[in-house]
Amino acid sequence: MKREYQDAGGSSGGVDMGSCKDKVMAAAAGEEEEVDELLAALGYKVRSSDMADVAQKLEQLEMAMGMGGVSAPGAADDGFVSHLATDTVHYNPSDLSSWVESMLSELNAPPPPLPPSPPAHRHASTSSTVTGGGGSGYFDHLAAVDSSSSTYTLRPIPSPLVAPADPSADSAREPKRMRTGGGSTSSSSSSSSSLGGGVSRGSVVEAAPPATQASAAANAPPVPVVMVDTQEAGIRLVHALLACAEAVQQENFAAADALVKQIPTLAASQGGAMRKVAAYFGEALARRVYRFRPAPDSSLLDAAFADLLHAHFYESCPYLKFAHFTANQAILEAFAGCRRVHVVDFDIKQGMQWPALLQALALRPGGPPSFRLTGVGPPQPDETDALQQVGWKLAQFAHTIRVDFQYRGLVAATLADLEPFMLQPESEQDANDEPEVIAVNSVFELHRLLAQPGALEKVLGTVQAVRPRIVTVVEQEANHNSGKFLDRFTESLHYYSTMFDSLEGGSSGQSELSPPAAGCGTDQVMSEVYLGRQICNVVACEGAERTERHETLGQWRNRLGRAGFEPVHLGSNAYKQASTLLALFAGGDGYRVEEKDGCLTLAWHTRPLIATSAWRIAAA
Amino acid sequence: MAGSDEVNRNECKTVVPLNTWVLISNFKVKYHLLRRPDGTFDRYLAEYLDKRVPPNARPVEGVSSFDHVIDQSVGLEVRIYRATVGGNGGEAGAEGAAAVTLPILEFLTGAPAAEPFPVIIFFHGGSFAHSSSSTTIYDNLCRRFVKLSKGVVVSVNYRRAPEHRYPCAYDDGWTALKWVLSQPCLRSGKDPQARVFLSGDSSGGNIAHHVAVRAADEGVMICGNILLNAMFGGNERTESERRLDGKYFVTLQDRDWYWKAYLPEDADRDHPACNPFGPNGRRLRGLPFTKSLIIVSGLDLTCDRQLAYAEGLREDDLDVKVVHREKATVGFYLLPNTDHYHEVMDEITDFLKDNLL
Repeated sequence: MKREYQDAGGSSGGVDMGSCKDKVMAAAAGEEEEVDELLAALGYKVRSSDMADVAQKLEQLEMAMGMGGVSAPGAADDGFVSHLATDTVHYNPSDLSSWVESMLSELNAPPPPLPPSPPAHRHASTSSTVTGGGGSGYFDHLAAVDSSSSTYTLRPIPSPLVAPADPSADSAREPKRMRTGGGSTSSSSSSSSSLGGGVSRGSVVEAAPPATQASAAANAPPVPVVMVDTQEAGIRLVHALLACAEAVQQENFAAADALVKQIPTLAASQGGAMRKVAAYFGEALARRVYRFRPAPDSSLLDAAFADLLHAHFYESCPYLKFAHFTANQAILEAFAGCRRVHVVDFDIKQGMQWPALLQALALRPGGPPSFRLTGVGPPQPDETDALQQVGWKLAQFAHTIRVDFQYRGLVAATLADLEPFMLQPESEQDANDEPEVIAVNSVFELHRLLAQPGALEKVLGTVQAVRPRIVTVVEQEANHNSGKFLDRFTESLHYYSTMFDSLEGGSSGQSELSPPAAGCGTDQVMSEVYLGRQICNVVACEGAERTERHETLGQWRNRLGRAGFEPVHLGSNAYKQASTLLALFAGGDGYRVEEKDGCLTLAWHTRPLIATSAWRIAAA
Repeated sequence: MAGSDEVNRNECKTVVPLNTWVLISNFKVKYHLLRRPDGTFDRYLAEYLDKRVPPNARPVEGVSSFDHVIDQSVGLEVRIYRATVGGNGGEAGAEGAAAVTLPILEFLTGAPAAEPFPVIIFFHGGSFAHSSSSTTIYDNLCRRFVKLSKGVVVSVNYRRAPEHRYPCAYDDGWTALKWVLSQPCLRSGKDPQARVFLSGDSSGGNIAHHVAVRAADEGVMICGNILLNAMFGGNERTESERRLDGKYFVTLQDRDWYWKAYLPEDADRDHPACNPFGPNGRRLRGLPFTKSLIIVSGLDLTCDRQLAYAEGLREDDLDVKVVHREKATVGFYLLPNTDHYHEVMDEITDFLKDNLL
């Protein structure tokens, strides 16, 4: 498939600011005329020699706009003013001389009104995009869900059928799944998911009630579930979830239907994390059972909402911050001593990872390198050039901290559309220039590629081809990609229960830094929605739609090893700093940084939830 | 009227340096584009035209800054400025990717300081509609305040009109005050307490006054108020408003527009927010209202109102110092190129020192 590569950048790849050649600094300037320093400090460029001229032009503009000396409503030329405000493009309003001139030229020959333009039109920024993969049919492959059940019709079942009444079989399974992850021991989340806490006591006894219920209700209408105690209901809830999943796996949709209906009532008896987790898993199961196909989580319409959720998730808990921090530390160390560096971000979103890296580079002994960032992002449904705007903001930031910065945005529906040539520098390099040192950064992106056969191999091949100094990978530390649905369900139930626990525990731990006001609530709710979408994807989707194919460090090690990469040890420096930051930021209660074979994981109590690893091309 | 307009412009140019004239005229023209006759505001263009800087954790002339959300429900953010030692990894152990974050977190989670220092809560100007805590002119001013106060400056990014009318800005000011008071890292001295000064220019000065009133009502101690050309108004025109209308960058028409955008829709300019000691106002006699340093530009068309405000405080036996710079225009404190600027900064330094109890 041929893809068009357009880099419409005028000066080096789209947005180029932060050049260290500040005119203000040209104290000994021979050729260039001096800019007024005081105005420059406020962000306005006016040459001292032009000052009087600019003043005069401002006066002319004032007169043209009818800004008379006295309040005279009629004198104002509202039409012209409105034209200047609405229809005119404002090029670089810091360069006062040219800005005023362009406003005045509107007076002399106002062009016909432009057609309604999207907001991006106002900024004279150039758009550099790669159109990729439109025809790849990524969204066209909507895999059918379990077609073997197509002949089944749902009928109401009078009595609830539950997990096998054989208690011994049950308890034999349980210890394997219900690890006592310690969620129940945390005092701050008394309503923690009882996966760990509840089942460890007397599982044999608890298995009895469902069997009793089943036989007693065989001929009677469904017995209303009476919650005697929350813990017992919690155990029943877990049973119902697992039993339903098992029924789905066995394609026993009658049983699944009956069980799925119990979940909301049982969930309502719980509080906090358990209730929410159960609700999300219950909903996902229902979607699977009734075959409501949820929108693929990477649908174009969803992109803006997904970004919003991502931002709230970033704020409310340390996972993303940990991911960014540990990846940045590895990149910083890999870039030591290099004068030209290039970071490729596999999903730039709002670019939140990069200001911190830029600042750290600015502070390093010997000064910052020349920095290039390639931000990959999905196609946008509307005309806003979000990818370019992120670059613009980062460029402005880099400019103020005096880091020479270039940006290129690449639009790609899937990473598999990237080709090595897209990551090369735009202009030819001088023989004298140091070659760029490259870091490739992937935060929660690689697992999506497992939904398309061959995609991961293709991407890793592309990465190999650009010869990066380092590749940083952050992934969920869990296997949610087992071929067996029940295994996936159980793993993810445990994983997300722990995650939700940490959100409950984490928000109370924030009181050191911010007043315990309402409002932490929004971030938490949005984070739960963010995670809820992942749950839905793991449980209710299949095939190319199922993009949340998380795998463990061990699994990634195999995959990356086969593709010709070897691990880079994340040093003790990173570990120490991450631990310190965590202690300061997260209130420290339940979060732990752990080191595992040179990789760093962030755990909630003893359960690692995300893992950062670093890689380089294996020695031949 | 063309002739007298020309006289006005020439006169205006003789009282300020040329680069100041260009700067303030530039604002005047740009702001004019944003105020629509129907009372709406072109917020998109305003944000685009506003010159801003991001916070900079790397110290510049000994001052570093960072942004911090203090109220999630409203999205209220402040920019915090403080003196920091420069250099690479200046603080012990701060290196690599944590070089920037660690010092900030250590500061925020730190304990009160033994040596007293002032915390200046600053409200930027912009007639309630313009600018932000990241606007360059205000970033510069706050940095200057850190240097002269040797303390911490908290610049509040309050919600603006016309999207957010009275009393949003005052509520945000109060939230910021409560937040400052609740932070151990902002306390100092043997007691230890947060030693708070409220400050602002134009609408920021107005906000500082109203927050100080609430503080007095609720028994919260403020060390002092520092007002720069505080924005007040009223239904009747004062002498200076009539005399100076349109002469030195500002017109009554634009003043009226901003009040209409900020005040409740059915209110007029004798609303107490606008005219605190006017017919609908409230005197402060008997309240523990703080001391005030009131800086007035003689060529600001609302100077009469500011002087009347000061007089109102004095009449109620409150401690007031007025610094009346008769030949200064609005915005003189934005560029360090006049005596007005330097002498006023000295006055502020002295006021801070004298009232850091």
